[in-house]
Amino acid sequence: MSDPILSIKDLRKTYSNGVQALKGVSFDVKKGEFLVIIGLSGSGKSTLLRCINRLHDPTSGQITFNNSGVKTEIASIQHKNDIRGLRKNVGMIFQHFNLIPRTTVLVNVLMGKLSSVSTLRSILGMFSKADKDDAIKYLNLVGIKEKAHIRADQLSGGQQQRVAIARALTQNPKILLADEPVASLDPATCHVVMDYLKKVNQELGITIICNLHFLSLVRQYATRVIALKDGMLVYEGDPKNIDEAWFEKIYGAGAKEVHIN
Amino acid sequence: MSQKKFELPMRRLVLDGFSFSFLVMVMLFAIFNPTEEQQLNLQFNFNVFIGSFLVGMVISYLLNASGVKTFGEHLFQPDYKKAVENRPMLKTFWGWHFIGFMLLLIIVGVFKTKFSIVELLNEDGFGGAKRLFAGIAEPNWQILPRAVLNMVETIFMAFMATILAIPFAFVFSFASARNIMTGKVSFAIYLALRTFFNVTRSVEAIIWAIIFSVWVGIGPFAGMLALMVHSIASLAKQYSEMVETVSDGPIEGVQSCGATKLQTIWFAIVPQVVLPYISFTVYRWDINVRMATVIGLVGGGGIGTMLVQYQGQAMWQEVGTIIFVIAVVVWIMDQASAYIREALK
Repeated sequence: MSDPILSIKDLRKTYSNGVQALKGVSFDVKKGEFLVIIGLSGSGKSTLLRCINRLHDPTSGQITFNNSGVKTEIASIQHKNDIRGLRKNVGMIFQHFNLIPRTTVLVNVLMGKLSSVSTLRSILGMFSKADKDDAIKYLNLVGIKEKAHIRADQLSGGQQQRVAIARALTQNPKILLADEPVASLDPATCHVVMDYLKKVNQELGITIICNLHFLSLVRQYATRVIALKDGMLVYEGDPKNIDEAWFEKIYGAGAKEVHIN
Repeated sequence: MSQKKFELPMRRLVLDGFSFSFLVMVMLFAIFNPTEEQQLNLQFNFNVFIGSFLVGMVISYLLNASGVKTFGEHLFQPDYKKAVENRPMLKTFWGWHFIGFMLLLIIVGVFKTKFSIVELLNEDGFGGAKRLFAGIAEPNWQILPRAVLNMVETIFMAFMATILAIPFAFVFSFASARNIMTGKVSFAIYLALRTFFNVTRSVEAIIWAIIFSVWVGIGPFAGMLALMVHSIASLAKQYSEMVETVSDGPIEGVQSCGATKLQTIWFAIVPQVVLPYISFTVYRWDINVRMATVIGLVGGGGIGTMLVQYQGQAMWQEVGTIIFVIAVVVWIMDQASAYIREALK
């Protein structure tokens, strides 16, 4: 077995208003796996993902990123440029897609190149031919190449999420974080987006860490699952082993599983 | 043992204290009927005012502590205390407090503005007004070409002031938006800029026109500079308020791609604010045309300067022509800017 790509130890995050979102979480992420994090709203899933790419600053603990042998201690990065360098390797997609309104799909996807283009060149819109080709390539991969010159806010929810995936892939990341990527989509579109994530995982070999709500999706897509409850890790293992008892433990007594097909 | 933090409800105390000291001052005035010299004794009057102000604050505090709700408390009480008021206003203490305060203000206002029905209906004065209106109603079209020429000058004064204000306001708007200026140093810059713009804006454009007419000489250039300064301050405030309301989603999205601060502003914030910016700017031009007219009265050039010349000689027919030209242009600008802003929504 190779070293884990990401090794998280005793990660804690307390917000300035005193809320303890993470109370000492430790786990490893293996290279190339499709790891799903489940748990109630407010259990700390989103905070966890945002600590990994430093959209949030962890209060204490370690996040060790192993980029093919080069180890980086994510939690203790101070300098802005280093955070920028980290984000080259860690892409992210969001529940509400977080695309730029009134801007074309292509420009949205080119945002994935921001970390490697100088500020001045990017503001003048001077992206290289290679960057544009890359953007088109990933738009093609998620099947919406023909929408490249349409405004991003004109697309449907599922298409917007695919643009977001293409944007993240244009960064050429080692890890892709997905914060409830299908929570605002209808059941049918939901599977389309999840299938593209699976494709990214299997064909491009990108490690995926994904927050999800629906256990049926977890069983279908995850290679491994961890569960958070009140900022603590309560389950780690194979998604097939989550039975009724575990479900109640994670989601509280009386919770019923909702199926989506 | 937890000790509850003790905080004085300052806004309530200031309002109640002020209304009380105002009452005291008016009563003293009515009783002693002071001479003008006594009225000008600022030191003494100020002391009386402050004294009664403090007494009023104490009274407000005691009243509210004993359960009587004053007007200040009714207005400034925190949301969680706001209960449904069942009693009609006339049966509450704060109701009478408010009514008494308003009545007192109106009474003093009538005296201070020398409000007089007799003057308004005075025959001589009324005759003068009739002559004026007769003149205006029969404009002297001979001066129309010159009035149009001056109006064009006014419109371009306003246009240049707006255009030149845009780049300054654009840059300053981000530097004076709370959600962008997060660090310690940035916050200091934010506070300094906000204060600077508030002061600049509180000085009316007409005052700026007086300053610049001394600086660069009477004429449209002075008027343009005055409008520009005022526009920069106003636009920067309006722009920065837009920046503060942008949604965080795109910002997070772009940041997750490794964007720098400038890239974040340019790619995630600017697309969200560009339409409101244009809309505000068009409206500002519209406002500037109207202001440019007024500014002309103090030497800012354009139609206003022409107006004040004829008005000084009581040439009402010529004034009528000028008013007609102003009215037409203001009406057209108003409509045009409304249509443009509608289209930008």
